[in-house]
Amino acid sequence: MTHAIIAHELTKSFGHGVVVDAVSMTVPQGSVLALLGHNGAGKTTTIRLLNGVLRPDAGHLSVLGLRPYEEGTALRRRTGVATENAGLDDRLTAFENLLTVARLRGIRGGAARRTAEDLLERFGLGPQRDLQCQGFSTGQRRRVALARALMHDPEVLFLDEPTSGLDPAGSRAVMELIGEITRNKGRTVVLCTHFLAEAGETADLMAVLHGGSLVCFGEPRRLAARRWPGIGVRIDLVTPSTNRREAAAIPDMLSALPGVLPVPETGPTSIELSVRDRSVVADVVRLLVDAGLGIGEVTTSTPGLEDVYFAVQRDLGVSDGLSGATGLSSRGAAVDGRSAPREAAAA
Amino acid sequence: MRIDWSIVGALLRRDLAAARRSKGVVIPMLVVPVVLLVLLPTGIGWYARTATAPPDLSAVLGRLPGSLARSIATMPPAAQIVQLVLGYLVAPLFLIVPMMISSALAADAFAGEKERRTLETLLHLPIDERDLFVEKVLFAWLPTVGASWICFALFSVSANVVAWPVLGHPFMPTWRWVGLITLVAPSVAALGLGVMVRVSARARSTQEANQLGGAVIMPLILATVGQSSALLILPSYWMPITAVVITGLGLILVRGGLRRFDRDTVAARM
Repeated sequence: MTHAIIAHELTKSFGHGVVVDAVSMTVPQGSVLALLGHNGAGKTTTIRLLNGVLRPDAGHLSVLGLRPYEEGTALRRRTGVATENAGLDDRLTAFENLLTVARLRGIRGGAARRTAEDLLERFGLGPQRDLQCQGFSTGQRRRVALARALMHDPEVLFLDEPTSGLDPAGSRAVMELIGEITRNKGRTVVLCTHFLAEAGETADLMAVLHGGSLVCFGEPRRLAARRWPGIGVRIDLVTPSTNRREAAAIPDMLSALPGVLPVPETGPTSIELSVRDRSVVADVVRLLVDAGLGIGEVTTSTPGLEDVYFAVQRDLGVSDGLSGATGLSSRGAAVDGRSAPREAAAA
Repeated sequence: MRIDWSIVGALLRRDLAAARRSKGVVIPMLVVPVVLLVLLPTGIGWYARTATAPPDLSAVLGRLPGSLARSIATMPPAAQIVQLVLGYLVAPLFLIVPMMISSALAADAFAGEKERRTLETLLHLPIDERDLFVEKVLFAWLPTVGASWICFALFSVSANVVAWPVLGHPFMPTWRWVGLITLVAPSVAALGLGVMVRVSARARSTQEANQLGGAVIMPLILATVGQSSALLILPSYWMPITAVVITGLGLILVRGGLRRFDRDTVAARM
């Protein structure tokens, strides 16, 4: 497997402290990496390091086989970036903003014009192509920035909050685009976002940064499976047990059933438990019906990126965006396939 | 490493197109030179021509080199004042204005990109630091030189309109003035931007750049004012010598700035 990004112990400090702390990760070509974390976690700095805008203080870094800072110009010919702030020149039109980048990327004449026009049409900005960007809404600016990042069909695309400010349809279009360029063209995408549901839909890999440290990295499904083995099952009851003794016996009855993972949580109107595989669900339902309980609905769920993210935040003691660092270093991160102590304990 | 002129050209096109549409850039670039280089000299010349009692210039002429003083002293009083004001005394303005414009544009070069939040976009593009720096220097220098030359052409026309009835013939441009505008003014512009573009790369806003750079630029402007008229009086070989020296100083400053201009440092200050 070819890797688009290989980072080993990547570290960057500014005057006020360490911003990226010994981050190690490998990202295969053609995959989507969701770079997650609170504001100030080090996501934007990581993107700047990966694209050779900042020089690492320590560690080894390779993107598309190039050393980003030393071979930055060559690398940036092959990467595209849509920064958190759209970074458009407001005094130029949408078309001129794209055309300028095309010229800077060596795309000239008719090819540049055609590509710019096609992308503006694709992002629904055809009617605004000759308007100066200073009057654009946040969503329109974001779309111009995305179009600009795609002008040269980059091999690696860095997207910093690409759907922030977009309406639901716009967000959906961006997510479809990410899926399309990775699936059909084998492009690699690094996606920084606070929208976990979107990240969960598209990401092949997730990396959670906290205080500059990588605290969790891997495939969301595998990370979730390690934390929550089995399939989650929720059973809503229509005729709750009125007999206290019977109700108290339900968890023990379920735990005794082969394939049920400890320990079921029961309430007066619902039961939540994990099972080894889907075939066990029928046994569970049969047992409950035999016990005289009326079942309204059975739903199964597989935890994903969002669940892992919040579980990691809980482990770190972070309850909201204002919480501070915990001192967990990147070296203690949960890396796919290798359980670090903290992750193993959580699982 | 060689400069990629296609990159520099593309950036120049962008910056010039954007500047052309920015009232904050265009108005000062038009108004200041037109007022200082066209209206003010013409007004002074007009006043001198129409004054009912021309002032006695003998004290002023006494301070000028002998040959120059003698050639002016032979003229009628009205012609003396027109020749002295339009031919010599307004010369400093033609050096102050290029320094002012180039400094203002250079202050905006990087700090303005930071303010408009476009610098990060540029740093993420395949643009070598050298190409970006050279473009910012040229963006400050070319419009300045263009504005000084256009204003000199306008000044020459208006000065002749004012002076012709008094002198009886057109007297602008003289070879010394052409030397001043084509050699010295561009070099002075290079000196101003050599200071300011370095300041701009470190400042967080154009205002900060102007404040930081002002401490250096103001003494340079005062020094220019004090010395520039002398170039029209001194032997003509001083003109290219002065231009070479000032350009050299400007290039040293630009080169030093280029050597210190580093993507990592600039990005860390964003």
